[in-house]
Amino acid sequence: MSEVIRVEGLTKLYGRSRGVLELTFSVEAGEVFGYLGPNGAGKTTTIRTFLDLIRPTGGRALVLGMDPRRDAHEIHRRVGYLPGEFGLYDQLTGAEYLAYLAALRGDVDEQHVRELAERFRLDLSARIRSLSHGNRQKLALIQAFMHRPELLILDEPTQGLDPLMQHEFYGLISEVRREGRTVFLSSHVMPEVERVCDRVGIIREGRLVTVEDVGELRAKELRTLEVHMADHVAAEELAYVPGVQQVVSEGDLLRLTVAGSMDPVVKALARHEVLDLVSHEPSLEDIFLAFYGSDGVETADASAVAGG
Amino acid sequence: MATTALARPMLGSVLAKTIRDQRRALLWWGVGLVATAAMYAVFYPSIVENAEILTRYLESFPEALKNAFFGSDADFVSPGGYLHTELFGFFGPLLLLVFAIGAGARAIAGEEERQTLDVLLSTPVSRRRVLVDKAVALVVGAGVLALVLWVALVLLGPPFDLTPGVGELAAAVTATFLLAVAFGAIALAVGAWTGRRALAIGVASGIGAATYLIDALAPTLDAVAWLQKLSPFYYYDANVPVKNGLDPVHALVLLAIAAVAFALALAGFERRDLHA
Repeated sequence: MSEVIRVEGLTKLYGRSRGVLELTFSVEAGEVFGYLGPNGAGKTTTIRTFLDLIRPTGGRALVLGMDPRRDAHEIHRRVGYLPGEFGLYDQLTGAEYLAYLAALRGDVDEQHVRELAERFRLDLSARIRSLSHGNRQKLALIQAFMHRPELLILDEPTQGLDPLMQHEFYGLISEVRREGRTVFLSSHVMPEVERVCDRVGIIREGRLVTVEDVGELRAKELRTLEVHMADHVAAEELAYVPGVQQVVSEGDLLRLTVAGSMDPVVKALARHEVLDLVSHEPSLEDIFLAFYGSDGVETADASAVAGG
Repeated sequence: MATTALARPMLGSVLAKTIRDQRRALLWWGVGLVATAAMYAVFYPSIVENAEILTRYLESFPEALKNAFFGSDADFVSPGGYLHTELFGFFGPLLLLVFAIGAGARAIAGEEERQTLDVLLSTPVSRRRVLVDKAVALVVGAGVLALVLWVALVLLGPPFDLTPGVGELAAAVTATFLLAVAFGAIALAVGAWTGRRALAIGVASGIGAATYLIDALAPTLDAVAWLQKLSPFYYYDANVPVKNGLDPVHALVLLAIAAVAFALALAGFERRDLHA
């Protein structure tokens, strides 16, 4: 089976504005698929239909080739799920929480649970009530991974994790991919998705904007650079460097908007003395606006040169 | 292969965990019930002593009022009559009902509001299984409390000559248990349909209060006397179980209320979108 998740015209309507509309895409076996969109775009709604926690208004989602409603038991056995928002049983310890879920699953290797806890540096003997937000997130992640599921469905997996633990998580995702397992993860930050995913589906206001390889997405992506030069550099000098879309020069400060590879612009800058260089990741809204327009339709590149 | 250190006997199933969660509550409810039973036992001798005055006082009431407050069988001097009008007339069922309604409301709606339900239902445990286990835990909890009340009355009654008979006490406690399970199942059903704990408690308690009053007041007005038979409380104590034993038909009516409420809970929970 090559399609691990298949979504066909999936629609879920709640009231007037929330929900998702006519989603169609698929996730291939062995890939890490990023589901990217701002908060409230419909990511959680989509994910919860995969697990039969909510039922679609129209269309359908097939998970591991099965219908979530009819085959919930089998899907749940083979999938690991991290909800975007969750509560834990505060009166239990981490070990007790995992023991409970392991007993309900029935096929959990305790050694693996211990490895995961060590990896995330989580003390399983502490009461959940006393855990920080980040530690609660780790515990919920461990329950999703502990039975070595062939498909992981993770809703905003890195929220609350400090950078070190995010790094650990990315490492875990790479291992899972190497083992041929599949990951579907949602995020509202582009760099995260670029870092770990093979393909990305972008969702906005309940509609799928695009599904692309991460490489293609990166090529289209706009970054903003702020460069402190030792001396004034004229904007015109950089305006025609490949990839540069916009340049503003104010005194010895340069602001550039760059698409695709950074290489040409860095080499151009290197002819002068560079004191400092800051690169800003584009916000999701910037990406939508730059590539798809505000109504989700792809528009021609709007580039401009402003001199200073 | 959940092995040694990770395995916890009281966390092996939804049923086991739900009972584990109730441990502390059951302990305190049990203490409360024993204290209540003790209090009623201690006061009994003074009731017997002043029986004559109390009976005369009671006879001065208009017939309708007497019925409303003490039932048609205004015997509160015999051990059975005393327990029927006092302990089993109000406090006993109240304590068990509050426990059962709380447990029923917490079962689904509590987990949903605390957002623990998504992970629980992402395991291979079905919605039906979760609901059945939670319902069984409710029945076990109410059963334990009923048993505690029975034991307390059997042990604490005799020193104060409060001895309606062990079998009769068992009948009264069983009726109380069945009433509590019926209202617990109503709370479970509202919680399973809506996911709202406060609403489940409100609806079940509201029905409880309304039908309690109907059972007490309807017989005083001939025109609406038939309404009494719509109240679960009628099937709870019309037969005065603490004197006459359990009426099997009445017991079945209470069981039927619980069964219908449970079936509705299942239907609602199976079809519904769960709150994130």
